[in-house]
Amino acid sequence: MILNGIGASDGLGLGNAVCIRESVLDYTGVIYAGAEAEKARLLAAVDAFCRDTERMTQKMSGQVGQHEAEILSGHIAMLADPFLRAQLEEKVEQGSVAEQAVDEVCAFYEELFSQTDDELVRQRAADVRDIRNRLLGLLLHVKPIDLSALAPHSVLVAPDLTPSMTVGLRAENVAAIVTQSGGRTSHSAILARALGIPAVLGVPNLMNALSDGDRVLVNGGTGEVILNPDAAQAEAYRIWNEASIRERQSLQAYRTRPTENADGRRVSLYANIGSTAQLDEVSSVGAEGIGLFRTEFLFMERSDAPGEEEQYQAYRAVAGAMPGRDVLIRTLDIGGDKDVPYLSVGKEENPFLGYRAIRYCLDRPDFFSTQLKALLRAGAEYQNVKIMLPLITSVEEIRAARALLEKCKAELQEKGKAFDRNISLGVMIETPAAVQLADQLAKEADFFSIGTNDLTQYTLAVDRGNAKVEQMYDPLHPAVLRSIRQVISAARKAQIPVGMCGEAAADPKMIPLLLAWGLDEFSVSAPSVLTVRKWISQWGDRQAGELAQRVMELVTTEEIHREIEKMF
Amino acid sequence: MVSANVKVTNPMGLHMRPAQLFVREMTPFASEVTIVHKDRTINAKSIMNLMASGIKQGSEIEIRCEGQDEQAALEKAVALIESGLGE
Repeated sequence: MILNGIGASDGLGLGNAVCIRESVLDYTGVIYAGAEAEKARLLAAVDAFCRDTERMTQKMSGQVGQHEAEILSGHIAMLADPFLRAQLEEKVEQGSVAEQAVDEVCAFYEELFSQTDDELVRQRAADVRDIRNRLLGLLLHVKPIDLSALAPHSVLVAPDLTPSMTVGLRAENVAAIVTQSGGRTSHSAILARALGIPAVLGVPNLMNALSDGDRVLVNGGTGEVILNPDAAQAEAYRIWNEASIRERQSLQAYRTRPTENADGRRVSLYANIGSTAQLDEVSSVGAEGIGLFRTEFLFMERSDAPGEEEQYQAYRAVAGAMPGRDVLIRTLDIGGDKDVPYLSVGKEENPFLGYRAIRYCLDRPDFFSTQLKALLRAGAEYQNVKIMLPLITSVEEIRAARALLEKCKAELQEKGKAFDRNISLGVMIETPAAVQLADQLAKEADFFSIGTNDLTQYTLAVDRGNAKVEQMYDPLHPAVLRSIRQVISAARKAQIPVGMCGEAAADPKMIPLLLAWGLDEFSVSAPSVLTVRKWISQWGDRQAGELAQRVMELVTTEEIHREIEKMF
Repeated sequence: MVSANVKVTNPMGLHMRPAQLFVREMTPFASEVTIVHKDRTINAKSIMNLMASGIKQGSEIEIRCEGQDEQAALEKAVALIESGLGE
């Protein structure tokens, strides 16, 4: 039998189902012990709740942890509400047992929050439900769900996962996560991706379909959950798993090697990261720096913008993990395609051509200054932070950003805060306008980083999320290749470093061309670092140079692919 | 009783974190603190009620304080809202 849901975290997982069922919280048998006694029970449960929650928040660290800790500390604040407390006590005085008081008051707020037209307030309804279930559990002495002692090869099957459930979860014992509700942005999805666990969410009727101990094969890419996989399916999994283990082992030799081509010419190989939680992986693969730190995660999945101090702590954590190495931090790259309600970007007809990234930031100087100041301060200790501006289309934009940066420096100076006064300010080259202006931009920017994902979309006018045209999306299109060559050449003439942080930097067909044109720095996702280091080592200058020359004489994308494939 | 009209400036209105801050700062005052928004009266020391109030950026609200320290409470409340509640 195959169940289908939303693939929310890539990979295959095979294991035994562990079904987390919501505990039965039935209080019909509880007898009223008088107002004072019920109040005392209520108070004891609330105290225990706050103590447990405090303990949980202390156990948390990393990105997922921070997000969870914030939700949980919110739970304490909600329970401390004197108005809610008064409602609870009133119910008890009127003859309700403590359990009923909790149930009814929480139901009232759940209803109240779910009825608002504000998405963020509606999300709070789930928090009230979590509070209700935990409080009832405490009152009825039902053991809370504890996932810290799962057996190896467990497939977690649950209606949904809440932060209070997943405290202390050991990723190495979880083969996969499957839930009945939730989508790509739910808590379960974020958790699964951060821990690298395959996950399928939003599987209808899941809790009735699976039982404890069922053998389950989960495909987090396709969203399939296969119950009792047959011999062929299990074999396919075994082959995939063995191949990925073998590949990983053969690459281990590249962990400690320098990144150089076959002639011993060094280039830099950096990692792209989207959160501080990925830093461990970055150092385990021996990346030589951070070529792209996306700051969006700090701003997403929350109800308001992070302040200077919180941003500073996050940036400093990255800078401190890479002393003496470059850390390129991209300023907020967000627009109408991402759901961050509090930024009030609004829905747009054409978010990729709209109010986003540097445009949004320059339009909100106060908001942007907060990020710039946090970055300036984060660079103080190791002088290794570099600021990277996304979606640049004109020289004016970098001038405006630089002016604001100088203003931020003056403010920090006045407040007597330490910062890096020589911080580098570079630009992403990801629009056709920036390509055309590369020689001019190179005079004003301290470095370039080519973002091939957007550059390809904008150059070819192709939305790669649109199934009807996605086959036209190809960074090896001659127009994109010419753009890349032009940008690298402009940077070299101006003697500023040029890197690439798009997916093309990890494309085996693109690598010889980039080496031939003189790209200084490749930045790829952490899992790709070792493979890319291996591919770079396989090309000599002459071989790559001749290939690049032949490729640039070709006129169709197909010919280009064929020409490069001949070399493999 | 004293009261004042203010406009909410922080981008997200009174969500979890700003509401938490407002309640924490106002709780020590002995006075009763209420917010009137769109003809509804909200207990301003209740985080649940503040969150459910639907007060957004740009909302015009009236803050009312009543009690022995009402003047100080009102000044604090207005300053908090005008400062953008830590954002």
